[in-house]
Amino acid sequence: MQRRSPLTRLRPWLLLGPALAVLAVLLLWPLVRVFLFSLQDYGLREIVSGEPNWIGLANYGEIFTDPTLWTVVLPNTVGFAVLAVACTVALGTGVAVLMASLGPLWRTVVGSAIMIAWAMPAVTGTYVWIWIFDADRGIFNETLQALGLQDEPVNWFTNRYTFYAIVLLNVVHHGFPFVAITILAGLLGVPKEMLEAAEMDGAGAWRRFWRIIVPNLKQVFAVVIILSTIWDFKVFAQVYLMPGGSGSNREALNLGVWSYVESFGQNRYGFGSAIAVLLTLVLLGITVVYVRTMLKEDEL
Amino acid sequence: MKKRLLPVAVLVTAAFGLTACAGGSTGGDDSGDVSAKGETLDVWIMEGTNPDSDAFFDEVGDAFTKETGAKLNVEFVQWADAHDRFVTSIAGGTTPDVAETGTTWTAEFADAGALAPIGDYVDDENLGDDLVEGLVTSGTYDDELYGMPWYAGVRSLVYRSDIFEELGLAAPTSWDEIVSAGEAIKAAHPEMMAFAVPGDAEFGVYPWVWGAGGEVATKDGDEWASGLDSSESQEGIQFYTDLALKHGFSSAGATTWKETDVLDNFAQGNVAMALMGSWTPAAIVEKNAELEGKFAATPIPGKDGGIAPSVLGGSHLSMFNTAENPDLAWEFIKLMTTGDFAAQWGEQSGYFPGQQSLLTETMSSDDPLVAPFATQLVDGGGTVPVTPKFGAVQAKKTTNTAIQAILSGQKTVEQATSDAAAEMNEIMNGN
Amino acid sequence: MSTMTPAPVTTPAASGATGDASRGAIPRTRRTARKTRSAAVKAVLVVLLLGFTLFPAFWMLSSAFDKSAGAGGQTLLPREWTLANFEYVLTEGGFDVFLRNSAIVALVTVLASAVLALLASVAVARFRFRFRTGMLLMILVVQMVPLEALVIPLFVQVRDLQLLNTLLGLMVVYVALSLPFGIWMLRGFVAAVPIELEEAAYIDGASWGRMFRSVLLPLVMPGLVATSVFSFITAWNEFIFAMTLLGGATENYTVAIGLKQFFGEHSNEWGYIMAASTIITIPVMIFFVIVQRRLSSGLVAGAVKG
Repeated sequence: MQRRSPLTRLRPWLLLGPALAVLAVLLLWPLVRVFLFSLQDYGLREIVSGEPNWIGLANYGEIFTDPTLWTVVLPNTVGFAVLAVACTVALGTGVAVLMASLGPLWRTVVGSAIMIAWAMPAVTGTYVWIWIFDADRGIFNETLQALGLQDEPVNWFTNRYTFYAIVLLNVVHHGFPFVAITILAGLLGVPKEMLEAAEMDGAGAWRRFWRIIVPNLKQVFAVVIILSTIWDFKVFAQVYLMPGGSGSNREALNLGVWSYVESFGQNRYGFGSAIAVLLTLVLLGITVVYVRTMLKEDEL
Repeated sequence: MKKRLLPVAVLVTAAFGLTACAGGSTGGDDSGDVSAKGETLDVWIMEGTNPDSDAFFDEVGDAFTKETGAKLNVEFVQWADAHDRFVTSIAGGTTPDVAETGTTWTAEFADAGALAPIGDYVDDENLGDDLVEGLVTSGTYDDELYGMPWYAGVRSLVYRSDIFEELGLAAPTSWDEIVSAGEAIKAAHPEMMAFAVPGDAEFGVYPWVWGAGGEVATKDGDEWASGLDSSESQEGIQFYTDLALKHGFSSAGATTWKETDVLDNFAQGNVAMALMGSWTPAAIVEKNAELEGKFAATPIPGKDGGIAPSVLGGSHLSMFNTAENPDLAWEFIKLMTTGDFAAQWGEQSGYFPGQQSLLTETMSSDDPLVAPFATQLVDGGGTVPVTPKFGAVQAKKTTNTAIQAILSGQKTVEQATSDAAAEMNEIMNGN
Repeated sequence: MSTMTPAPVTTPAASGATGDASRGAIPRTRRTARKTRSAAVKAVLVVLLLGFTLFPAFWMLSSAFDKSAGAGGQTLLPREWTLANFEYVLTEGGFDVFLRNSAIVALVTVLASAVLALLASVAVARFRFRFRTGMLLMILVVQMVPLEALVIPLFVQVRDLQLLNTLLGLMVVYVALSLPFGIWMLRGFVAAVPIELEEAAYIDGASWGRMFRSVLLPLVMPGLVATSVFSFITAWNEFIFAMTLLGGATENYTVAIGLKQFFGEHSNEWGYIMAASTIITIPVMIFFVIVQRRLSSGLVAGAVKG
């Protein structure tokens, strides 16, 4: 049906051209560059002059021999991502199942409520959580004290675990609506007859969930888990803006913040780039899994 | 010791050593009649130094336009962000023409090649002999003057005089007296913090290090050696953090406080004693007029009496390489740092002018919220290590991290200080 | 997963999937008891969920309207209602400017990325050409790259383009950031349009451009809305690039970075901070609730249809 004129053959490239140009200049080339920077001792001087200053893999050597990486940054990044993804997906799924069982009115109410949680920008959300947990006047401490559960105000931001517990709350609160909405849409696509048939067979809600819903929504779950993993690996503002999060509390560093404070605080752009490359590689690994899941049943 | 103490003799005997020899006679010809109609001078000024800076700069802008024909564009920058912002703009080539630079940063930015030397201008105007020595030292890098002394300030012990009076206390003159005053306040006013110990404020730490006879860092040949892990320094830091941990004078929240938080809380009436700058009284009254006359200052006591040195902080006005019209930039610097505007700025902000003749005038003041600071400045003004690398130490928050780690119970004083000293050595002796 | 077609969430037919029909062998009384019990459990869950979901937003609003939020001892509702916080934030706080900047940036980003993404997605969904698979893979991979990794090189890049401290520099970067996801999602929508419709248009003598306008465009509109929401959020919420690329140009600050700067100046005046946060959040919330339905269908189509 399609007419094979030169225009037709060129058309895909004409359509793709503008987007490709933008991607190439602002994503691909920078990606190459961050790798090039990571092989240099790249400081203010080099940025100003543009002269390269190659030092091979020394930056990577420094990162891998830095105890900060092994004792603080990596556990914070990976541990947090694992926990956050687990909580986000579990909560999101629960909410989706709950919403599916509600009548139209309440489903709209709950749906709007989680939209509000989702819509709160990361920066404002972070400040709200900081305010809630503020040591001197935050409502959390005041409530605990009013209930007699603690005598003195506690500063929740100084301890590594409570610090990340607050980040977790923040990230899960912001992240679960996406999961819930996506899974809900998938749930509603599951043929009702299948569920009814299972109920007739006497399968309880729990078994119906694992036997029918999970297998049917395998791909939805895969997508949701992988996207959440990627997002939760690169939390930045939620950590950076917290009290002590921008470097003075060393136990709270994660890969993203570490890279940023080393580059822009210490002017060690090469070292910071090397950390960034590391983060990219970890995420690339996850992406490979994503791509393979996506490609299995659907040819591109 | 010699390096950081600036005894009164040096301060008053105005000296302008290094840059005077730089000689040369380019630059600023007939100053005063630079004509730059239609041009705009971009200037960055730190936010919060002067509570009424908008009005002040309106006035400066008018005078500047009258003199040169050029427009003045002032941008206010927060201290907390300023270092990162300068660095980013240096990297990006988007620096302003003139900026207020903290005294510990000037050498660092000069080292990065971002600043323009101003020694020749100063010589041409014969201003050299009238600049405050401490500010000249910190504004000099590689024998060239890069930072024009603008103002200086020190931190002293600020306390609630109404409460001290109520409890029959006198201003503390030794560490023991701080503790006993604190205990009395804690008993009578449990709702108040007897002594605020902020975890994210390094300049609140050094007086205790020095007051116990320790050092922040000393230079031996070409090597810097941090003294934070010496037993004297540890004793000082132990005392300071014990105010919070052992005596319970501070609060858990203060572990993540910055100096601005101390100020806010003092102004709200939550704090009875704290180390605060000579510029804060005006801001406190501005925030809460009820406190007027209810607080006073006293020099920071040393361990067994005397005065513990406190950092002679302050700012330079520096000209950036990117300045399109250096003569115009210099006109602005001169306008700000000498004469009426400099004096007015000092009066409004509670800082001490960087011009010797003006400083001497201020020193004779008998204002209870000026005189103690002046005493501190003269008898106990210290400087942090003068090296471009110290800015990087500050940016890494080495000292803040140590204090926060102690206050939150992550580390002992020994651990925290030896970690901090190691980090400081690494940064200061790095390439 | 080709069975998953875009489906609006709240179709009346699909509602009450488990609770309503009277079915099967379970005795009537037991069933009623179970129904009440499950209804009660559900009610409790809904209340808990609403509490968790809405508390931060509620607390933000409550503090924003409270006259003395920063003084401590706050109650759930403001002790003394006031609009002074908002007034301060919008005038002295400079948020009028930040809001304007953000609106400009978001608008341009949404429009530009929608156009570019739509064109590109048509190319990859409708045409077969060399490197097509490679291109798709690249788009996928690029989407996963952490922003932090790009901060340093993009900073240098934008500097080389002489766009530091300008809104334009920020817009260009945001367009680039929202493109991969946009292309990926729209691809699903374009692919879902039956090719027969296009062919019918050609038979009627329409040119490719005509067909694009009158057949393809209307059908992928829901997808376009969904991608636009995403690029809007990117532009409105983004923090790290605004922080590095805008540097000292306060007059060009967007809301996210404006809030950070404002927090630095007023770190204990929670009434102001929460008022500012409210002002920033409200537009996004309204937007979100309005597009709720389309958003979810778009998500499913984009993410699942892949």
